[in-house]
Amino acid sequence: MNAVLSIARTTLGEAIRRRVLLVILLIALLLLVIAPGMNGLTARQSQTVLLSLILGVLQLSSAVIAIVLTVYMIPNEVERRTIYTILSKPVLRWQFLLGKYLGAVSALGLMIMLMTGTMIAVFAAFQGPNVETLASLARVAMMYFVQMCLLAAVAIFFSTFVQPVVNFFLSGGVYLVGTVFGSLFATIAESQQLPQLVRLAAQLVMLIVPNFGQYNVQNSVINSGAQIVGEGIYYTNLAVYGIVYISILLLGAMLIFDRREV
Amino acid sequence: MSLAIETIDLVKTYKHRGGASNTVVDNLNLQVESGEIFGFLGPNGAGKTTTIKMLLGIIGQTSGVANVLGREAGDIEIHKRISYLPEKPYYYEYMSGLELVIFYASLFGIRDNDRCKELLRRVNLANDMNRPLSTYSKGMQQRVGLAQSLINNPELLFLDEPTGGLDPIAHIEIRDLILQFREEGKTVFISSHELSDVERICDRVAIINKGQLVAQGRLTDLLAGGRVEVTAEGVSDAVSDSLRHENRIVSFKDGRLILDAPDSDDLNGMIDALRNGGAQVVSVIPRRKRLEDLFIEAVAEDDTAKGRQRGRMTDGNSDGTKSAEVEEVKTGEGDPS
Repeated sequence: MNAVLSIARTTLGEAIRRRVLLVILLIALLLLVIAPGMNGLTARQSQTVLLSLILGVLQLSSAVIAIVLTVYMIPNEVERRTIYTILSKPVLRWQFLLGKYLGAVSALGLMIMLMTGTMIAVFAAFQGPNVETLASLARVAMMYFVQMCLLAAVAIFFSTFVQPVVNFFLSGGVYLVGTVFGSLFATIAESQQLPQLVRLAAQLVMLIVPNFGQYNVQNSVINSGAQIVGEGIYYTNLAVYGIVYISILLLGAMLIFDRREV
Repeated sequence: MSLAIETIDLVKTYKHRGGASNTVVDNLNLQVESGEIFGFLGPNGAGKTTTIKMLLGIIGQTSGVANVLGREAGDIEIHKRISYLPEKPYYYEYMSGLELVIFYASLFGIRDNDRCKELLRRVNLANDMNRPLSTYSKGMQQRVGLAQSLINNPELLFLDEPTGGLDPIAHIEIRDLILQFREEGKTVFISSHELSDVERICDRVAIINKGQLVAQGRLTDLLAGGRVEVTAEGVSDAVSDSLRHENRIVSFKDGRLILDAPDSDDLNGMIDALRNGGAQVVSVIPRRKRLEDLFIEAVAEDDTAKGRQRGRMTDGNSDGTKSAEVEEVKTGEGDPS
C-alpha cells in the first residue's frame, strides 16, 4: 500500500501543477465569480438562473478537468520513461495504476472543493446565507465529485489501450451518452413502436455506459418545489453504484495494463 | 563465479498490424558474472534497450530464458535487489532532488531521509538537493538518477547510456561512481555508445547487431592481438622481398621500412631477420587494438555476412526455393525501442 500512496501523492503533486488544468480551473472560478452579474431578471428568476448557471459551470469544468487530467496520465509516464524507473522497483502494475487513479481523484477532489467553495461564497454574497440552500449546493457538488470519479475511471480504462486524443473523445462521448442522452436511450429502449433490434441496441448501450445522469441532483436545489424521496437511501445507492462501476473499470484497466507492453 | 544475468536463446519479436513481424532480439545468449562491470554495446536499434526491458520484466520475451540473480526476470522479489537508470530519464520536475529520492525510497518501503541525503551527498549533490529538478543540468539529473538507483543498495544495476550527452567532467564523475560500485561488489550492466568509457571501466563486453550477439568476452581477450609497428633503416632488397612475401610491409621507401607484427613471435622473428640482413631497427611501437576497432569490425562483419545471406535467399527465391521463415510470434505487440 506504501507504493500506491506514494504514487498517488506524486500524481497529485504533478496534477495540481499542470498549467492546462490550472487554466481551466481559473476560467471556471472566473465564471463563477462573474455569474451573478450575468442576468437582469426578477429576484425569484434570478436565483433559479444563478443556480443553474453556477452548477452548470461547476459540472462542465469538472468534467473537462477530469478528462484532461486522466487521458494523458499513463501515456505521459511511458513517453517520459518515468514508468520504467517505477516498474523496475518492487511495484506491481496494478499498484501503479491504482496509485495514478487515486492521485487523479485527489486532484479532482481538491479542484472541485475549490470551485464549490467559490460557488457557495458567491451565492451567499448575492442571495444571502440561506444555510439550507448552501448545504444543498454542497450536496450537489459532492454528487458531481462521485460522477467525476466515475468519469476518471472511464478515462483511465481507455488510456490503457488507446491514444490520448482518441481517449479524449471516447471518454467525452461516454460522458455525453451517460448524461445528456441517457433519457433518449431509455425512451428508445422502452418504445414499442421501434424494431426489436434497435431497442436491444439501446438497452445494451444503457447497460454498458455508466448512468452519469443520475448524479445530476441539481433540480432539487434549482426548483424549490422538487424533492428527492428517501434522500439518504438515494445518495447511498448512488455512491454504491459509483464504487461498483469504478471497481469494475479499474479491474478491467488493470487486467489490460498488466498484459500491455510499455 | 556465479552468474548475475543469464539469457538462453532469448527472442523478442514484435507483431505488427497486417501480419508483418520484426525480430528485435534474436537468440541472444548472454552471461554476466557477479561483481563485474559488463558493457552491452550495439548500434542504434540493435535491441539493447529491448533486452534490458526484458531483463527487468517490463516486457516479456517471445521465447527463450532470461534469468536475473538466479531467478526468472520479472520476479518482483528480484526488483528489491536490482535497480535501473534509463536513458535520458525524466523526473517529476516540481520535486527537489531530495524529494525525488525520498519518493523512490518509499516504493521500497524505506523511510530513511538521512540515507536519501547521504546518497545525494555521494553523487555530489549535497548543495543542490533542495533545488527543484527543473533547475538541474543534464549531469545533475543523471547523478540524481544514480542516487535513486542506489536507494535499495542493489546487487545489480542496469545503466542505459549513463554518460550519454554529458560534458567531460560529468563523464568522469559518473565513470568514477560506476567504478566505485564494482569496488562495493555490485554488478553493473551498462548499455552505452560511449566506447571509450566502456573500454576504461568494463571487465567484459557483448556486442549485438540487429538483435544478434556478434561478440562477447573479456575486454583483455577481445582486444588481444594488437599490432606492433617496427621501423627499420638500411633494409636490403633481399630482406624486404622476404617480408613482402609474408605480407608484413606497411611501407618501404629509400631503405626505410615500416612493418606490422600481429604477435610477439612474429615480432622477434622479424627483428632477427632485419638485424641479420644488416638493417638497423629504429623503433618498435605497440599499436593496441581499441574497442572502437573491435566494435566496427564485429558489426561490419556481421552486416556483410547478413548481406550475403540475404543475397543467397533472394537467389533462392528467384529459383523458386523456399524463403527464410519468419520466426513464430508467441507474444508481443508494439514497436521496438
